[in-house]
Amino acid sequence: MNRTIRRIADHTVLGLLALVFALPVLYLVIGSLKPSDQVLAGLSGFLPTNLSLHNYAAVLHSLSSDSTGHFWRFMGVSLLVAATVVAGGLVVNSMAAYALSRLEWGGRKLLFTLVLLLMLIPFESVAVPLFYLFDTQRNTVWIQAAPFIANAFSVYQFHTFFQAIPVSIEEAARIDGAGPWRILFRIIYPMSKPAFASVAILTFLTQWGSFLWPVLMVDDPSVRPLPLEISVFQGQQPPDWGQILAFGVLLVLPVVVVFAFFQRWFVQGVAGSAVKE
Amino acid sequence: MSTAVSPSPTPAPSPAAARPTTQRRRSRDWVHALLMTAPALAGLIAFVAVPFGYAVVLSLHKARLGSDRPPAFVGLEQYRRILTDPDLSGRFLHALLNNLTFALAVVPLQTGLALALAVLLNRKLRAIGLFRAVFFLPVVFPMALVAVIWRLILARSDQGILNSLLHQLSFGHWGSFDWLGSPLTAMASVVVLSVWQGVGFQMVILLAGLQAIPDERYEAAQLDRASRWQQFRHVTLPGIRTTLIFVALLTSVLSFRVFDQVYILVRGGGLNENATRTVMYEAVTTAFDQNNIGRASAITVVFFLIVLVLTLVQRRVARGDDA
Amino acid sequence: MTDSRHVRLGLLLALPAVALTACGGTGSTAATSAGDGTGTITIWAHQGQDSENTVLQNAVNSFNGSQSAIKATLKFVPEKDYTKTLTATSASALPDIVEFDGPMMSSFVYNKKLSPISDYVLPATVANATAAVKAQGTLDGKLYGLGMYDSGLGIYANKKLLDAAGVKYPASVLDDWTAADFTAAVQKLAAANPSHKALDLKEDYGLATEWGTYGMSPIVWSAGGALVKQGKAAGALDSPAVVDAFRTFQSWKPYVDADTDGNAFVNGRVALSWVGHWAYPAYSKALGSDLTVLPLPDFGNGAKTGQGSWAWGISSGSQHAKAAGKFLDYLLDDTNVTAMTTADGAVPATKTALAASPLYRTGGPLHLFAQELAEPCGDTDITKSCVAVTRPLTAGYPVITAQFSQALNDIYGGADPQTSLAKAARAIDQDFSDNDGYSLTK
Repeated sequence: MNRTIRRIADHTVLGLLALVFALPVLYLVIGSLKPSDQVLAGLSGFLPTNLSLHNYAAVLHSLSSDSTGHFWRFMGVSLLVAATVVAGGLVVNSMAAYALSRLEWGGRKLLFTLVLLLMLIPFESVAVPLFYLFDTQRNTVWIQAAPFIANAFSVYQFHTFFQAIPVSIEEAARIDGAGPWRILFRIIYPMSKPAFASVAILTFLTQWGSFLWPVLMVDDPSVRPLPLEISVFQGQQPPDWGQILAFGVLLVLPVVVVFAFFQRWFVQGVAGSAVKE
Repeated sequence: MSTAVSPSPTPAPSPAAARPTTQRRRSRDWVHALLMTAPALAGLIAFVAVPFGYAVVLSLHKARLGSDRPPAFVGLEQYRRILTDPDLSGRFLHALLNNLTFALAVVPLQTGLALALAVLLNRKLRAIGLFRAVFFLPVVFPMALVAVIWRLILARSDQGILNSLLHQLSFGHWGSFDWLGSPLTAMASVVVLSVWQGVGFQMVILLAGLQAIPDERYEAAQLDRASRWQQFRHVTLPGIRTTLIFVALLTSVLSFRVFDQVYILVRGGGLNENATRTVMYEAVTTAFDQNNIGRASAITVVFFLIVLVLTLVQRRVARGDDA
Repeated sequence: MTDSRHVRLGLLLALPAVALTACGGTGSTAATSAGDGTGTITIWAHQGQDSENTVLQNAVNSFNGSQSAIKATLKFVPEKDYTKTLTATSASALPDIVEFDGPMMSSFVYNKKLSPISDYVLPATVANATAAVKAQGTLDGKLYGLGMYDSGLGIYANKKLLDAAGVKYPASVLDDWTAADFTAAVQKLAAANPSHKALDLKEDYGLATEWGTYGMSPIVWSAGGALVKQGKAAGALDSPAVVDAFRTFQSWKPYVDADTDGNAFVNGRVALSWVGHWAYPAYSKALGSDLTVLPLPDFGNGAKTGQGSWAWGISSGSQHAKAAGKFLDYLLDDTNVTAMTTADGAVPATKTALAASPLYRTGGPLHLFAQELAEPCGDTDITKSCVAVTRPLTAGYPVITAQFSQALNDIYGGADPQTSLAKAARAIDQDFSDNDGYSLTK
């Protein structure tokens, strides 16, 4: 009765909201499969007519020589950079967070304050001087990853998580004679999977879409990451919307695939980035 | 300060300094701690602290991008210009105002919508995973792509999706409207697409917070014949207070950094630059379009100070709330 | 503990200072070396339309096939990031041959990134270049760049729509076509069109970009003003005549199609399109014999057009300048220039190719552009009789274009032209005075 009506109402509201959220994605996918002149065409842009993979073929074709760079190579560079940042970041930042949250030593308060301060500096604001300082390292893969491995926000996230682990567990290990490294690897890390998932996912998402830094540091097609290439297609006149959207799909596809397979981890990971109650 | 900023969920490790074992441990820990922090610290110093210090130095100079001429020291001239010069300060202060407008719109809107979605999803619905996935999907979209999609949705011609939709809904009375180009709606457009992209993230965090509230509390409230609204007000809200504050803080810090979508849409999407220019946008274009590194650095430094002050005030308020 | 903190703090403060002095010198280390005319040379080019990229790639391949002493390798960089890329790359890291956008050349010369090319290319190559493209490539009496093609601006018109609305338009360059005539034509066309639109200003390129400066600065020149005059913008950019001209420009906005899909003109949604020569292939395909090209309207100082385009130079860090010169000789020969200008429809920038071009030779459909380019003004002497104006040859150009296009965008958005232009002029002048007028001798 009343409850049933409420259920239906809830479902309707949710359904409508979900539709609003899904429409832009639907438009992206349909548009990428349509002839370019039928993409920007009012509501009929949603009609799945004349579908083909032509735009995808055109994108891959126009990025298939040494002069323009190869599509799969762009994707490889992006994956390599993202993987380096994620893996390196997990190790480096979690270690630091452990030392700053669980070990008692002199520099800890000062350093943690420093980390919190650094957290407030947006990357965009150091991009200019950073670019100046590393001028000679342009067009390398390592410089695309290096600035993002150590990450104050990740340290903060790990710090928050580690602080919530009961001291008693660690004390017991201490009494058994375990040193800080052993405790870190054998006790703390195994307990911290949610924190790792959370940091890894956040880092990966930010890194995959990274735009400003590569714009400044990379020209050579052999080490260019994928998101930069969207400007190749947007620079064409008149804009070929079908190809732009096809490129967009290819840009987001790896992330969506990962997301589809690891949805539970994504959700847990993001949820874990909140302060534990 | 560290205790002020980090809402320590458990009491700090008890100061067991009296025990001799701890004394010995401490002296050894110092070495381990330094080793553990060294890589992260080196990275942060090399890639954040030093460049920032360098920005401070550059802000005191006339320095040009790509120039081989040495920077010339000008003292605080760059600051004078962006803060008090009649032409330049207007631009900077306007950018700052745009930042504030964006934050004031996005933070309540995004947090509110995220909460609403989380509450709606926090029950045993069919296909809940699907709904959650739909709302979360845009989060994995790079901003460069979000900008392209929304550029087409908000396109000024009558072929734009939104204009076309309104045309249908109004039985042909709606002509076309320049959503991105009009000063009235440019910022609102950026807000909408940013919320679309980001809200799923906050929703998931809040959903986790909601699921941590014990069912008994709701059951108790239902026994008291509390209405749905009363349950929300007296059980749900207090139950996720900390999470909600965290989400709001996170959103406001992130919203202040808004850059990508504005940059991409102004460049190729006909977005009204004046109505949406943010401080970060101003800094980057000053550096890379006008090659004026000195002024860009000064903008950066002032911006950092403002964010710092705002964050401290926010934390103070959030903490005062706790007491 | 206290000590170590001091040390660390000291280090933090000292590092940037060291870096600052280190950075001061990065650009100046490069010195051009002629080399022996053999070896591997590297080339950077902007990634434009597919057809252009293909021609360039073919030219490089056939150059490599035609001889064995020099091997050229080509790399493309997306057009939108291209100028930023050159600005950001130090001279020593640049490839041997760089393509650059014409008006940015002075800035690169000022920053010692380019080397004069006269010593490395054949005299015949220089002699065959058109006057307008040589004007663009010459600074302080030295030639730094030559292009395969030049550019021109015009108003493409759909004769059928014009005639249907009863609009009069000039039959040749010599006919009067004043701003008032143009405005009246736009209004009349808009009234005859159910959508009330008549004009396409290529708003989809973005006015706050180089297109804004390139496409609309002819309004400044035609109103008797200049972007900068003798190193000063105040009085030249914001003169009453220029301000008036931009009030007129502002009044067109209600009749302009936003052209988000880039098809306003080819689909017949508007009758007039204010754009460069490059639109010709698509437009002529769509309209056939209904297409005609008109000059830009005259705001009092004669009709003007923009000029200049991508050009090729040799980097100051090149160790194979002689080999690079040989490649440029090859690239600028008739075969390659004709292939390129056939692909992109641009005005050939060599005399022989221009004379042979079916589009631009006397009687060709785009002869107007060739005529305009045959009356070059250079960048300073903008008289009533000359037509093609070179954008200011100064290292301060990036600031000029940033400020002007910004003002233009503001004006288009409804801001007061007087205020916007005066503000832009002040900003340009301040930047020039900060940089000692960008004098090359300092």
